[in-house]
Amino acid sequence: MTAPALTVRRLRKAFGSVVAVDEVSLDAAPGEFLSLLGPSGCGKSTLLRMVAGLVEPDDGQVVLAGEDITRVAVHRRNLGLVFQSYALFPHMTVFENVAFGLRRRGVGETLLGPRVERMLELVRLGPLGSRYPRELSGGQQQRVALARALVTEPRVLLLDEPLSNLDALLRDEMRVELKRLQERLGTTMIFVTHDQAEALILSDRVVVMEQGRVEQIGRPEEVYRHPATPFVARFLGRANFLNGTVAEGESDRTVVALDGGGLSITAGPRQGFASGRPVHVVIRQESIRLEPPRAAPAPDAGVNHFAATIVFHAFAGQAHHYVVQLADGRELEVAAPGATLPLARGARTLIAWRPEDVILLPGGEPRPSDPR
Amino acid sequence: MKRESGWWLLAPALLLLLVAFVVPVAMMVPMSFRPYVPLVGITDGFTVRYYTRLLTDSYYLEIIGRTLALGFTVTLSTLVIGYPVAFFLARTRSRWRSWLTILVVFPLMLNLVVRTFGWIALLAQNGLVNQALRALGLVDSPVKLLFNFAGLLIAMTHIFLPFMVLVLIGAIQNIPRDVEDAARILGASWGSTFCRVTLPLSAPGILSGSILVFVLTISALVTPRLLGGPTYQVMSTLIYDEFLQRLNWPAGSAQALLLTVMVLALVYLSGRLARSTGARA
Repeated sequence: MTAPALTVRRLRKAFGSVVAVDEVSLDAAPGEFLSLLGPSGCGKSTLLRMVAGLVEPDDGQVVLAGEDITRVAVHRRNLGLVFQSYALFPHMTVFENVAFGLRRRGVGETLLGPRVERMLELVRLGPLGSRYPRELSGGQQQRVALARALVTEPRVLLLDEPLSNLDALLRDEMRVELKRLQERLGTTMIFVTHDQAEALILSDRVVVMEQGRVEQIGRPEEVYRHPATPFVARFLGRANFLNGTVAEGESDRTVVALDGGGLSITAGPRQGFASGRPVHVVIRQESIRLEPPRAAPAPDAGVNHFAATIVFHAFAGQAHHYVVQLADGRELEVAAPGATLPLARGARTLIAWRPEDVILLPGGEPRPSDPR
Repeated sequence: MKRESGWWLLAPALLLLLVAFVVPVAMMVPMSFRPYVPLVGITDGFTVRYYTRLLTDSYYLEIIGRTLALGFTVTLSTLVIGYPVAFFLARTRSRWRSWLTILVVFPLMLNLVVRTFGWIALLAQNGLVNQALRALGLVDSPVKLLFNFAGLLIAMTHIFLPFMVLVLIGAIQNIPRDVEDAARILGASWGSTFCRVTLPLSAPGILSGSILVFVLTISALVTPRLLGGPTYQVMSTLIYDEFLQRLNWPAGSAQALLLTVMVLALVYLSGRLARSTGARA
């Protein structure tokens, strides 16, 4: 196994009595695209700024390719940072912006020109070198910022919500461009975002953070399908949360009796919860299928089959959004593919989901605040 | 429907400017070409002698040169002293910040005459400054600090410093910290970041602060009169004497118009400079 490009060890930072980053440790492999994902105020930006050297940690270490850089001055770290605000030098041309880092490294004029030009080509800004930042669009400015950070071939590129100031369409375009650039250059990137879709699409691994702590680190499918905590389940994707108690904890399935009585839900095997244990039952809204109501919906029609009534419907392009009400008054959110025939409000239906799609998380503790 | 352009919002200010500035200045133009005969007064006729005298007589040229020199040196010294202060106040997160800002502005709340008399007490032959210098053994005989350039420079630097600092605070606060951080991460040391990013980006503030202090300095009357005495003249005291002591309004008008033209030329040139360099910031 190769040594990590970047290691953060038990990094800690408090502002007054507020602990912004609380003993965070993580590794980024060379060439990895690692996202720090979390709501605003979770400490992800502070963590990034400590890696960059802009914020001094109270405790812990930042190790870059085996070298402890915790106390190394910002300008000697050889990192790149792309800001949400772009932070271009407004009094310099695009060319001079990109050349800035190379000039500080004493790269001679003869070598500098071609390197800057090549980098501008790479971010598709070839002919705009003589323009000033204010003459460019938001997307172009962000590409200048990328070129400026990448031209010095930084050991790690840090990105602080770089796409958040762009409008939705441009953001999608830039995502793809960023990912292709990263694959082409093989630069290790640490990407801070509050946008879960962005993190899932771009990352090799996602670090989900909340209140200065790491909640979970894993591949995008891992954190989405197997969230480690209720916070992660809530923050990634849209899900229904139900509370219950484990009734049967068998090897091939786990049955949970929901609080309030009446209904029980079957989850897949090997959840590892003993009988009597309070749990959160998490069902993603896209895991729920809507089926036409049967003549006589028998309770033993299959596990996780429930009769329901549509109480809300909205069309959202890729999917229809429904809120359905179960017989006991409980409401669930459902996202059904756009192609299926929309069901009108008040229509009776049958909802169902597979046991494998049920996520069980230890319950009993107070509900964490909703990230949204 | 046509949208309102909003120009009418300028009407009150334009009217005031017209009545209180443009009309009096325009009235001075014909006045400056009329001959003044001692013991008779302003007579009919046409002469350019007040202008030729002003631009050829070494007495007047020295006063014009002195006024400009004072303007530039006071501007430079307020800039050199004020920039670090403004930089600190714009950047500090100390809870004393607002108190320190008030401290900077505080001299403005005292009457100008009172402040100027304070400087007389300090700078006089037997004043505090000379006493201190002698007590420290730095000088043997008192240094002349009143009725000369040094005294005016010291006092006016003090008096106009708050204007410079206030303008610079605004300009420095407008520089995004991210831009400086970006420079640091790209490998620029603190000094290099300051010279290549912070200073160029505060150029608009430096320019407007400098214009403000320069114009205030060359048009100041009270301080040069009190600290310069009757003999050490600058243009404003000269104009004052011409109008109110010698009652030679034509000569005074010519001098006042020259001062106005100098100020306007300076503001125009700085505007040009700002457009060609600072406007990018």
